[in-house]
Amino acid sequence: MNFDKFFELAASKGINQSQLQISRSKSLSISLFRREIENFTVNDSQKIIAAGVVNGKYGSSATEKLDKDTFEFLTKNIVLSASLNEKEQEADIFKGSDKYHKKNVYNPALAEVPTEKKLALIKEIEEKIYAADSRVAEVEVGYSERESASEFYNSFGLKLKQKANYFYVSAAVVMRQGTETKNFFDIVLDKDLSALNIDEMVRKVVEGAAKKFGADSIQSKKYPTVIDREVMASLIGYFLSSAIADDVQRHTSMLEGKLGQKIASSRLTIEERPLEKNVFFSYFDGEGVACKNKVVVKNGVLQTYFYNRETAKKDGVESTGNGTWGGGKVGTGFGNVFVKPGKKSFEEMIAPIKDGVYITDVAGLGTGMNSVSGDFSCQAEGFHIVDGKVAEPLTLITLSGNLLKMLNDLKEFASDAKMTLEAISVASAYIKSMNIGGK
Amino acid sequence: MISKSLALKVLNAALATGGDYAEIYVEEITPESYMLENGKVESAGSPQAYGCGLRILNGFRSVYGYTSDLSAKSLLALAEKLSASYDEPRKITVEKMVSPRVKQNIKITDHVRDVPVEEKIGYLKELYGVTAAVDPRIVRVQTGLSSTIKNIEIFNAEGPVANHFTNVEERTRVFIIAMAAGAEGIETSFYGPGASAGWSYFTKELDYKAIAKEAGEKAVMMLGAKECPSGRYTVVIKNGWGGVLFHEACGHPLEASATSKGLSVFSDSIGKPIASPCVSAWDDGTIPNEWGSDNIDSEGVPTQKNELIRDGVCVGFMIDRFNGRRLDKAPNGTARRQSYKYCPTSRMSNTYIAAGKDDPEQIIKDTPLGIYVANFGGGSVDPTTGEFNFSASEAYIIRDGKICEPVKGCTLIGTGQEVLMQIDRVGNDLLLGQGNCGAASGSVPVNVGQPTIRLKEITVGGRGGKLE
Repeated sequence: MNFDKFFELAASKGINQSQLQISRSKSLSISLFRREIENFTVNDSQKIIAAGVVNGKYGSSATEKLDKDTFEFLTKNIVLSASLNEKEQEADIFKGSDKYHKKNVYNPALAEVPTEKKLALIKEIEEKIYAADSRVAEVEVGYSERESASEFYNSFGLKLKQKANYFYVSAAVVMRQGTETKNFFDIVLDKDLSALNIDEMVRKVVEGAAKKFGADSIQSKKYPTVIDREVMASLIGYFLSSAIADDVQRHTSMLEGKLGQKIASSRLTIEERPLEKNVFFSYFDGEGVACKNKVVVKNGVLQTYFYNRETAKKDGVESTGNGTWGGGKVGTGFGNVFVKPGKKSFEEMIAPIKDGVYITDVAGLGTGMNSVSGDFSCQAEGFHIVDGKVAEPLTLITLSGNLLKMLNDLKEFASDAKMTLEAISVASAYIKSMNIGGK
Repeated sequence: MISKSLALKVLNAALATGGDYAEIYVEEITPESYMLENGKVESAGSPQAYGCGLRILNGFRSVYGYTSDLSAKSLLALAEKLSASYDEPRKITVEKMVSPRVKQNIKITDHVRDVPVEEKIGYLKELYGVTAAVDPRIVRVQTGLSSTIKNIEIFNAEGPVANHFTNVEERTRVFIIAMAAGAEGIETSFYGPGASAGWSYFTKELDYKAIAKEAGEKAVMMLGAKECPSGRYTVVIKNGWGGVLFHEACGHPLEASATSKGLSVFSDSIGKPIASPCVSAWDDGTIPNEWGSDNIDSEGVPTQKNELIRDGVCVGFMIDRFNGRRLDKAPNGTARRQSYKYCPTSRMSNTYIAAGKDDPEQIIKDTPLGIYVANFGGGSVDPTTGEFNFSASEAYIIRDGKICEPVKGCTLIGTGQEVLMQIDRVGNDLLLGQGNCGAASGSVPVNVGQPTIRLKEITVGGRGGKLE
């Protein structure tokens, strides 16, 4: 499509400044069940998000229908939504940053690997899981590949493009022993198929499920608590959501007024590194602002909030390159988060714990988290820690606490940091004391 | 959105390599949504979704693809790409197409789309005004309306005669989020009534001012709430949205996507007792104008009233076409999907525990010590183990048969098998509540529902120590 025509049409309708984001996604996913391909899905779709300024107000529109009427549809709806917008702040479209740090993270080799080879890979995982333990009852293995290309244009002539691809392989196992059923799930994400260690994945899921047999609840009380890195990633995600300037400015963030203050244990240092060369790399945000790496929390002290241009203007600072456009307005997002790990191995870290709990999985955090106050309560499972070692499995216990209090009670991180699908890299954490609900 | 002749060509191309069922699902979604912050419009959007999903089944195998390009070239290329997964001789040649009549469960005359924008925004401002006026501690109120019209065409074939269905799904939901701040912290309340109904439902039938007032009152009330105790207690759950318990703990494990593969705790339960004898339950996609209702499902099958549990005995599942094959059962109108980007699977619509005989007030009077859960934030379940969790957004302690002080941070956990057996009282006050349910085929609108019920004993998680 000739996007110059959009800007001409927009200008003719009184949209003096405008921008277009075009995203195209392709995907492939294959899953096996009982040695057969159960699902095979391919996709090729596009979306345009358009935004513009009319009489000092933002308006926006979006569509997946690309035909001769698309620009007419987009401009008409920008004008309509701008006419309803009652935000007091004067809106404008960003002209462009002085410098962008573009890197090539697209791996053409991944797209060229034949589908048969990807299928063979997951069939191998499936067979090995079945063969690993006689208690394996069901196995579900899947391969997914995503490719996304985004383009950004604005009425000031800014043109930006980026392209990325990655795959993930997931393996879920259900094991039965007597009347007990236990399951385990693992996922490997990368852009290079050689990163997948099949035997390691097989071992992890089978051992993971097998270790849960015989699980029971535990006496309700406060325990020294070790939280697995995957669970920790979700908790850090909620914590960082509170650092979004929009919520701070509306007085509904637990981090309001905390800039420059110590809000957590000095063991906590968090960076956002959008320019890290990995599958989550991004060099411009939804407003066309150049992304930059930043320290959010340094030794427990809050260094910055996440800003888009609108919220930055309100606080008299520069945008941190965290703007997004979606849902008809400017929003704020973050990704490629790195929490500084500790130096001890997981085993060394838990060695001093006499009577503690190791949380390996939680469920219901989405609804059990009051993201405004940081209070949370959720279903959990894991293991008892006895005399410095992981002991008997625990199930149907609850983990509850307050995010800020938990991060203040953070004793240390282990050295086992791992990047998750949520784009947060964090290690397992030792918290002095948390409420565990059980018997 | 695509011509019948193109649909015939695509179906035949899809079935060229031995597929025994092919389906084209075409969709154009035109939503309108308004979001207000403290009574001022912050966004007004109409993001249009448009595309087509193509599915080919062959026995227990399924391939699916989707695209936002509906040209003949694109759709035939997709059919060719997908059919390459099979390499058998053609079983079906589609020769003609018929258009079965679609029974209308949803009848709307006063479309929200036709109401002037100013009137809809005025309504949201009125909601804000009522909520904000409740208490000066209310620091932030978000009100919004989202109304969606989905135009759907389905073409499917299992033999020489293809079916062509056209359907319109029209739904509207308004929401109020109130946040109250005090020395104790910040508390949030959420209310989101929705229906497949017209504007008069929201302005006349719904007591929207009472809901807006309650949203404010609950957020303020929770400011003063103590931490919920933890341990095993008797729990009474209020009617309506409390039905999310049944939805998570028992509804999901009764979906054929789980039961057909032996992945559900209820896989082999048909004809067996799975609940206390006072429990009967239904999934009913036909209730006129309800939030979870449809005329047909995503495969063109008319929605039905499906019985799941009768007097404690499991009698049925939610069954889609594909998973029905493993169960050797016909689909029962429960295949749903968020959009063309999702392959349909068995999902709930309006799912509820049927009314019992008890007076709800008497149930509370008969409870000396326990927890009263009046509202849930939501929850989730692992269908394989049946383990579930819910977090209460509004809960109280019951002492000596009376509802006493509010508590916060209350989570209920257990297994579906256990909780169904623990129900010992069922009230006569069935009520439905609206939500969105996320699962394999995306987020779909559902009603949950139940009368007031009591659980003899369930694990409660909270930070308040033992209940005394």
